[in-house]
Amino acid sequence: MAFSSLSFESMQNYDTNAKRKAVFLYNFTKLFDWPEKMKSGNFIILIVGTNPSLNQELSKMASSKQVGNQKLEIKNTATLDPSIKPHIIYLLTESSDLLKDASSKYKGNGTLIVTEKPGLAKQGAAINFVVADNKQAFEYSQNNAKKGGLKTGDGLNGLAIVVD
Amino acid sequence: MVVWHSNYAQNDLLFDAQKLCNEKNYEQAIPMLEKVILHPETKNDPASWHIRSYAYLQTYKQSGPANTSKISLLDTAMSSALKSIALDTAKGYTDNNNAFIKNGAATYYKLGTILLQDSLNTSKSEMFYQKYKKYTAIINPTFDFKQKDIEYYNTMGSIFADQYMRNNFDQKHGDIAKTALLKVLELDSKNISANINLGILYYNQGATLMKMMDYDVDLAQLDVIQENAKKLFKQSLPFMIKVYELDPKAERALEGLQGIYSALLDEEKANEFKQKKEALNKKQ
Repeated sequence: MAFSSLSFESMQNYDTNAKRKAVFLYNFTKLFDWPEKMKSGNFIILIVGTNPSLNQELSKMASSKQVGNQKLEIKNTATLDPSIKPHIIYLLTESSDLLKDASSKYKGNGTLIVTEKPGLAKQGAAINFVVADNKQAFEYSQNNAKKGGLKTGDGLNGLAIVVD
Repeated sequence: MVVWHSNYAQNDLLFDAQKLCNEKNYEQAIPMLEKVILHPETKNDPASWHIRSYAYLQTYKQSGPANTSKISLLDTAMSSALKSIALDTAKGYTDNNNAFIKNGAATYYKLGTILLQDSLNTSKSEMFYQKYKKYTAIINPTFDFKQKDIEYYNTMGSIFADQYMRNNFDQKHGDIAKTALLKVLELDSKNISANINLGILYYNQGATLMKMMDYDVDLAQLDVIQENAKKLFKQSLPFMIKVYELDPKAERALEGLQGIYSALLDEEKANEFKQKKEALNKKQ
């Protein structure tokens, strides 16, 4: 009688954190109110840095979801690209140094700045992903969201680690 | 061919049945034997039950290999052999009766393992396996079933864990796999295969919760899903740690721990095991 070990590969290669972040980002598209000038054309999420599984997950999401009447579009660059006017810019850990530039460049333009390095919600990011109790959570700075030209109700406060 | 003592020829029916069996005409022999075991002259004769056991065993064999629809034939053969043993104070039929029982036990074992492949027949498989154990213990009372149990439940665990994944993570398959693998660990807590499979099973359940989550779930729902997945990832951890402790060079344990810690968002620990795996691969 033969028995064997299960295959771990198929699920191990699945990045659960990429899925969590995709769900968070899609929620943000609904929890913030973008200025009128950003409510036409595609809804752009710009990832700055390298995370193939996140790109893959977001592309999958974009193929099945949209934001209101706007089609979701995922872009990926290595640095800030002045030709792209994103609704959400997500600075991956390796791109955290770009936060200051991004805060200045996108001020008042209707761009939600998202980061994933400890402390960045106090340095210009509106949303900063953190890990709490082995779960993905996020810090939220309403002040930084307002600086980015976004409106939000109080609903987000109950779901976030509020930093201001 | 079984050679029987012929000193019971005083009963014509038994004699005739024996003759038919020698001619391999079991179909006609069986109705006679049913009368023989009720007849006052022969019902307490170990030969009657012994011949009956033989006739039923041969008829079962003629029904085709691993035939579960005719299992009552095998059951009757076994109960008849037991009855013959009980009546056989002179021990004249011991060797042959034991041979029948050994043969029947092996058939039950074979059926048990074959039915493991059929997810609808787990309980039947276990029933046959228990019969194998029962009859083996009769002819060999000191037989140690521990290794057989480990082998059987490990096979059940790996088959159902595989079925669980192939059947869109159906809970029923997963539960059967877990129960079987935990039985293995009750017998042998250091069993690597059972520990690995349980670790993978729990991990995969957690990862599946994440994978199947819709992008539309709100943040409150997301938190609940994360919490449930976290519990499953944490459940998988001790099994994979056990494998690592037993064999620090087990690549699958290193790979598993990397994946589990990564799912628990503990990147430091995930990297630790990633590096260990890379170091191991460099040495090989």
